[in-house]
Amino acid sequence: MADRKGYRGYIGTRPLNGSRTPQAVQNLVVRDYAQRNKLQYLLSSVEYSMPNCYLMLNEVLAELPKLEGMICYSLFMLPADADRRLAVYRRMLESGGVLHAALEVQTLRGEGDIQHWEDIWLVQQALASSPTVI
Amino acid sequence: MSGGFIAGHDDVLGTAFLRDGYVINQVEDAASLTRIRDRLATLAAAELGKASPNAPQDFLDNIHKLVSIEKLNEFRVSLIGKINAEPWMREAYYRLAEKALHALVGNELAMQRRVNLSIQLPDDESSLLPAHADTWSGDSPFEVVLWLPMVDCFNTKSMFVLPPEVNARIAPSLAKYEGEGIEALFREHESEFRYLTVNYGQYLLFDQNLIHGNRINREKTTRWTFNCRFKGLFTPYADKKLGEFFEPITLRPATRMGLAYRPPGSFRG
Repeated sequence: MADRKGYRGYIGTRPLNGSRTPQAVQNLVVRDYAQRNKLQYLLSSVEYSMPNCYLMLNEVLAELPKLEGMICYSLFMLPADADRRLAVYRRMLESGGVLHAALEVQTLRGEGDIQHWEDIWLVQQALASSPTVI
Repeated sequence: MSGGFIAGHDDVLGTAFLRDGYVINQVEDAASLTRIRDRLATLAAAELGKASPNAPQDFLDNIHKLVSIEKLNEFRVSLIGKINAEPWMREAYYRLAEKALHALVGNELAMQRRVNLSIQLPDDESSLLPAHADTWSGDSPFEVVLWLPMVDCFNTKSMFVLPPEVNARIAPSLAKYEGEGIEALFREHESEFRYLTVNYGQYLLFDQNLIHGNRINREKTTRWTFNCRFKGLFTPYADKKLGEFFEPITLRPATRMGLAYRPPGSFRG
């Protein structure tokens, strides 16, 4: 771990769960999270706006050997496809990195955390089909 | 270009812009350029505890002898704050290409709230800006970038752009690079990217929908460039919104009149 330094921020341009947050605000959330948790924050990568594009996420994952991990603005920035998400978790864990989600204050450090992240994801996806008016 | 409604210099400029994706011209207000350059050099010198340089060009070109790669970002961020705090800065910047902006974008404009500054020290491996189009990151396709060098910029001390006809061929296939990364796109098409020579005293106005970026500066001197976006005030905004990212700068009387208009109401029906 001696040569690995810092956590790359990961923010985006697409709306999340129907809401849009300006990049400047996403960066505030990520930087504040890093500061509160005493993590060295590295300038955020910004995911491209094209639907289903994860080009910048893949760039950060490719950088992992030099990083301690990644801080996403939200865990909902990960791919909607479960297999692609699992691939992200595995790549993070296999590289020895830690994945943080600043908005939800969630950390993925080990196998045991995967189910917790997936519970949140899968429930959120199910809610999309649920009534929204009581 | 528009059946005679756009003619003369505007037509020539517009045709070149659409053909090449950019125009490079002499700045329209030399006094504003000098003011910006001299103030930047003075602020940079003060940041380093030095007096205002007598030869600002030389000072900026050789800043790599005084600032380490490790300290660069802190230095740059401080200068961005200070130069943007100058109340005259944004107007001076606009004046450098006012007529060209009117010809290419319109005369009712929104301008980015802060002028951005890039500094690339020679051989700084961290200064690579991968090939990208700004629209991929949430900029509106209706924006242009006014790029202003504070020193002579050429080859790897400058930026590269993909010409429009090549961009039209390559950009649609971006998804094929999702696994390998954008560097693979650059390697595959490296010979087609055009490095732009833009000297101090000139500006570059370019179409940020085109794939562009910069490589590691392998020249002997430091690159200093400003960049700032302009768009038509009423053209569509994308992720960079009016207020948080852009401000109106040239609201015309007819628009003010229209915005202030209130039709008679209170009819009972």
